[in-house]
Amino acid sequence: MNEVNDRSRDIGEFVPQADDDMIICRCEEITKGEIRRAVHDGMWTITEIRRFLRCGMGLCQGQTCARLVKDIAARECGVPYSSLEPATSRAPMRAAEMKILANEK
Amino acid sequence: MYRHSTASAQRTVAVMKRYDLIVVGAGPSGLSAATEAAESGMKVVVFDENSRPGGQLFKQIHKFFGSKEHHAKVRGFHIGEELLREAAAAGVEVELDAAVIGIYENKEITVRKAEHIEHLKGDTIIVATGASENMVPFEGWDLPGVIGAGAAQTMMNLHGVKPGQRILMLGSGNVGLVVSFQLLQAGCEVVALADAAPTIGGYGVHASKLARCGVPFYLSHTITKAEGSDRVTGAAISEVDDKFRPIKGTEEHFDVDTICIAVGLSPMSQLLKMSGCRMSDDPKRGGQVPDVDEYGETSVTGIFAAGDVSGIEEASSAMIEGRIAGARAALRMGFISAEEESARQKSFSADLAGLRRGMFAPGSKGRMPEKTEEGLDISVNLLTKGYLSDDEVTKYPGVVKKKGLHPVIECSQNIPCDPCQDACRFNCIKVGNDITLLPQVDMGSECTGCGMCVASCSGQAIFLVNEDYDDRSASVTLPYEFLPLPRTGDSGFARGRSGERLCTAEVIDVKTSPAYDKTNLLTIRVPKDMAMKARFYEPLPAREADA
Repeated sequence: MNEVNDRSRDIGEFVPQADDDMIICRCEEITKGEIRRAVHDGMWTITEIRRFLRCGMGLCQGQTCARLVKDIAARECGVPYSSLEPATSRAPMRAAEMKILANEK
Repeated sequence: MYRHSTASAQRTVAVMKRYDLIVVGAGPSGLSAATEAAESGMKVVVFDENSRPGGQLFKQIHKFFGSKEHHAKVRGFHIGEELLREAAAAGVEVELDAAVIGIYENKEITVRKAEHIEHLKGDTIIVATGASENMVPFEGWDLPGVIGAGAAQTMMNLHGVKPGQRILMLGSGNVGLVVSFQLLQAGCEVVALADAAPTIGGYGVHASKLARCGVPFYLSHTITKAEGSDRVTGAAISEVDDKFRPIKGTEEHFDVDTICIAVGLSPMSQLLKMSGCRMSDDPKRGGQVPDVDEYGETSVTGIFAAGDVSGIEEASSAMIEGRIAGARAALRMGFISAEEESARQKSFSADLAGLRRGMFAPGSKGRMPEKTEEGLDISVNLLTKGYLSDDEVTKYPGVVKKKGLHPVIECSQNIPCDPCQDACRFNCIKVGNDITLLPQVDMGSECTGCGMCVASCSGQAIFLVNEDYDDRSASVTLPYEFLPLPRTGDSGFARGRSGERLCTAEVIDVKTSPAYDKTNLLTIRVPKDMAMKARFYEPLPAREADA
């Protein structure tokens, strides 16, 4: 975990890649390039990336892209996949309309 | 003001429903856990976000492996129906269209129902939320027509809708293999099955069913592109190097309208993480999983995890894990004695140990041994092409040459499964006490041709062969699960293990019986020298048959 938090590490410049415009988070339409760019802009944890880009915050709540985003971020940071902590899990665990959320019984 | 808020707080506490056990997820492990606990006298509710209970079981139309205790040779959806009956008999409440969206302190949960959110409390909670399908990104992966293998199964087996006409399957694990076969059964064409790994990940017998239908395997291959502008119209795959990078110039194109992805599952463990359970990232168990003890209890006392959510396995072990957690919860709440619990756990752990054996056991994941437990070479052909070659097949103990009618069992990998042993009333087939051993054919026993062994093999690896059918021909009886069912007198082609057309074949008998549970037995007549080669029947195309 220390390695992940060590922000003095040099992860190099952002180098454009051929598949940067590939959509990774389909719900929020976030591309691979945007995620890689976010890492170089200083977002080194999944929580930060999620707040910055909203990937994993759409209808499926990251069910499809969580692994993919984590994989891209870990590669870009140069750390093992398992060392990146996944996003915080919070309620509502499934998408719910506000009128339902507000209607507690 | 003070009085008012106290009164309302008291009222809230008074109306919040309480259960001895709340189970999240009505799949195989959740239902088993609920039944075990309810049978012990607990008041149990199961919530599931879907409109139908049973989890993935109701999509599983194939026969399961294992022993009798593990529901071997029973089709998945029948197991699901049985679990529902057991749960209902035990007095379990099952609430559908009810998603548990949060677990809070003191085991309070929130459930999203059609129009409102409900708060409930459980003295114990078992989280059995299962897993979700992994995706792999490639150019065009977000086009309509790229779907999960599980989605394909839902469309076909629950809704009766074909996912497409021409399919490329990615992933050679059991999910990829089983779903590919079901796609063929639904009348789709599986044009290729590709996997980046150098060897087939699932059971060899599942792969062989596809190979003899003519599905080609592309191991060490990955998808590079889904083609099309508003939907999939094609796909390109490339061979990969030892670092799984596509090799330039090896690209191959397929005209397909559907790309099915079966590249593994991830535990849906977010609820456990939210509830404060200690979590680990464990690639061997499929991703983020809770740290659990041998009873599935997490670091939060009274919160359990059972089934795929605590590590990807399969339905049979999920059911036992559910039972284990259910019994433990009953002990925790004082519904059963310590002696009673320990007796039950002993039998469950023996069951579980029986399943977690052989070449595909969780412990040996990714490491395929070179030899079987009997010391025979594992077929490389089977691992890379999906079938045993004609000269390899005779090495295995179930493949014998004998005068007259006899079974030929093309079972070459040690997996925990033994229904064939009980299928023969004349004890012609022996697996022995060790459930993972390869079946042997007793040379002394007479075969009556009843076909029970053929229908009982979940891997469809048993055939009845008679090399002395008449002067010139042999008969081969094979399991057949396609429609329309050929009729006696039809002619078509015999296919070999690799799917190649060998010769013309005449259907001389078609048997169906409730005891076969929808595995039909087709007997074809082929030239004598094809007796040990012909393993599938291909009807003539409709036009040729008319002409």
